[in-house]
Amino acid sequence: MSIPKLEFPPFHLPAEAEALRGEVRAFLKETLPKIKSEDRFASWNTASPEFSKALGARGWLGVTWPKKYGGGERSFLDRFVVTEELLGNSAPAGSHWVADRQSGPLLLKFGTEEQRQAILPRITRGECYFSIGMSEPDSGSDLASVRTRAEPVPGGFRVNGTKVWTSGAHRNHYCITLVRTSGQHGDRHKGLSQLLVDLKTPGVTIRPIINLAGRHDWNEVTFSDAFIPEDCLIGNEGDGWLQVTSELAFERSGPERFMQNFYVLRELVRVLGRQPAKRASAILGRLIARLWTLRQMSTAVAGMMQGGKSPAIEASLVKDLGTIYQQDLPEIARTLAESDATTEDDLADFLDIAQYASMMAPSYTIQGGTTQVLRGIVARGLGLR
Amino acid sequence: MDRDTRDMLLETASRFFAERAGKDVVNGVEKGLWPGDLWKEIEEMGLPLIAVPEEQEGVGGTLADLMALLRVAGEHAVPVPVAETALANLLVSAAGGKPATGPSTVALGELSLQGGRVSGKVARVPFAGVAERFVSVVTAGGKSTLVVVPRDAVKIEDAPSHAGEPYGTVTFDGATPEYSAPSPVSADRALELAALARAMQMAGAADKVLVTATEYCKQRVQFGRPISTFQAIQHMLAELASYVAATIASAEAASRDADEGGLENGGSFSIAAAKTQCSDFAHRIAAISHQSMGAMGFTHEHILHHYTRRLWVWRRDFGSESFWGEQIGQSFAKAGKDELWPALTESRYAA
Repeated sequence: MSIPKLEFPPFHLPAEAEALRGEVRAFLKETLPKIKSEDRFASWNTASPEFSKALGARGWLGVTWPKKYGGGERSFLDRFVVTEELLGNSAPAGSHWVADRQSGPLLLKFGTEEQRQAILPRITRGECYFSIGMSEPDSGSDLASVRTRAEPVPGGFRVNGTKVWTSGAHRNHYCITLVRTSGQHGDRHKGLSQLLVDLKTPGVTIRPIINLAGRHDWNEVTFSDAFIPEDCLIGNEGDGWLQVTSELAFERSGPERFMQNFYVLRELVRVLGRQPAKRASAILGRLIARLWTLRQMSTAVAGMMQGGKSPAIEASLVKDLGTIYQQDLPEIARTLAESDATTEDDLADFLDIAQYASMMAPSYTIQGGTTQVLRGIVARGLGLR
Repeated sequence: MDRDTRDMLLETASRFFAERAGKDVVNGVEKGLWPGDLWKEIEEMGLPLIAVPEEQEGVGGTLADLMALLRVAGEHAVPVPVAETALANLLVSAAGGKPATGPSTVALGELSLQGGRVSGKVARVPFAGVAERFVSVVTAGGKSTLVVVPRDAVKIEDAPSHAGEPYGTVTFDGATPEYSAPSPVSADRALELAALARAMQMAGAADKVLVTATEYCKQRVQFGRPISTFQAIQHMLAELASYVAATIASAEAASRDADEGGLENGGSFSIAAAKTQCSDFAHRIAAISHQSMGAMGFTHEHILHHYTRRLWVWRRDFGSESFWGEQIGQSFAKAGKDELWPALTESRYAA
């Protein structure tokens, strides 16, 4: 078998999307200063219902979804631009992020008409937030080994088990939960299903898991004989694996994979002043070139997807390179600021920022598929396995 | 040229390079043997005239056509100055001149022009050892002048590149050009175009390195199985693919931007960013590919070094990652943090 040629055909976002960019930018410029945020530098994991509602009011949630569900019926590329602008302007997009990015599209694709009507319009208004119920204490990268069991009972399922790393479960409304509805633990991909779980359901307990930076993003979600009605099954019983893998593939190559800590680069530009030394300029320029390249790769993949292709290897490569860039960025920026920040005050401030960024950095190459999982996908694409 | 014509030309060129510019030819150039027949055939195919307009007896292709050809040339480590001559011909024709036959090169550096004579010294001029003429753009009195200086009017000190190609230092001591004319392309722009050419050659070479290392690992058996079945090797090659992908994507985007924006200033920032990126990752591409192929890939016998050595040379040619990175860094620092994102989304310098 010959090796597939890697191609990233340069792609221009269409004029319509660029026009939308201007509107989104103007909106953010006006809105962001009024939003109180829990983080000094917000990103897609900073929750703000206030911001999400404001964004929804402008019609910029569910951008691609049908109008009958409150969507914008706009192109996938329009959505790309909205996403980039949220990230480029450090908007607190955490409340709606998962719902808009993957839960809503999953319901659109596999959900029942009742589920769509009940949920999607609320997501587009910025009022309804989702968590992801995939990982378990014994199932991380090996997702097919999940043990949470949904036993069919009259009118629904009785669910027992534990989900972990469930971001935002303490403030979100729903959690799409991967469960075993039939067969045994060792059956792997067979017998898995996805349930739409209301996080207020009796028998569902949410406990915080604090991360190393002292933040409460994650939770442990325990199901103890929780009854989930049968109309909360998403798609077909037993199709959970197929559905969950399509969910994971949603925009692996999106800008969120290289712009989560964009603020580090922006603040670095600030503290280096208007006329940095030659060496400092060169290092800054190399960081900017890397980010520009990632953006070219990401738009190229978006263009291929728009053209009806499914560039799985290319998308995985963007995430691999992008998350490692995000890990390198705080380190390169910190040492550069230490030698070249213009004032002591700027330096002290920046070291604070970089320290926080360094603490968050390990998460980038773990969440949503580890570097090693991605490289396995790429290796398969290269015909190595 | 239209898409089909270009694809056909690239396919023909690729087959031709594979047949006629193989391992022995590349090694021969390193020993100082000039492959005159190969060059003649390249000229007969019209490749050095690809971006020269038809009314100037060229092929009439675009800048993007030329760059696409150079990616293919890089993929075959073609050891003759296709890039340099095609670029020289493009600059000459843009200044109203008629491209000559024979290998040419560009000498881009600090040159001065007084009374119609060229003076100055340019180091690391690619293919100085075989070029019949040196093309440059000189800035004097706020004007850009294209000069074509014949070989016998300059002094050449041979300084072969680390890839064994006949580079050298060229001294112009009041040299009289055989042609000079006002140039629509500035000296800075000529350097950008040359950097873009190298970025595309690097994209081709990087691609070839990935294919070479991957094929090798699939065939090489150790511990009773092909080493490609070891996860450690799989992950190395996947990482290699990511750097190759970045190299290809950045170079292709810059080529598109340069072409769309026009010969005189299109894609300035994109070219700088692409050359920075390609040069930056050259080391990682070389390091992983060599690691995956062990001692075998470190021999002169194997072809891997035809590509890795060129990557190491090309990353320095026409501005390294330090040089172009500095241009970018200065501009973005000058503009300040609020211009960072808008400039990035528009692929332009911030200030």
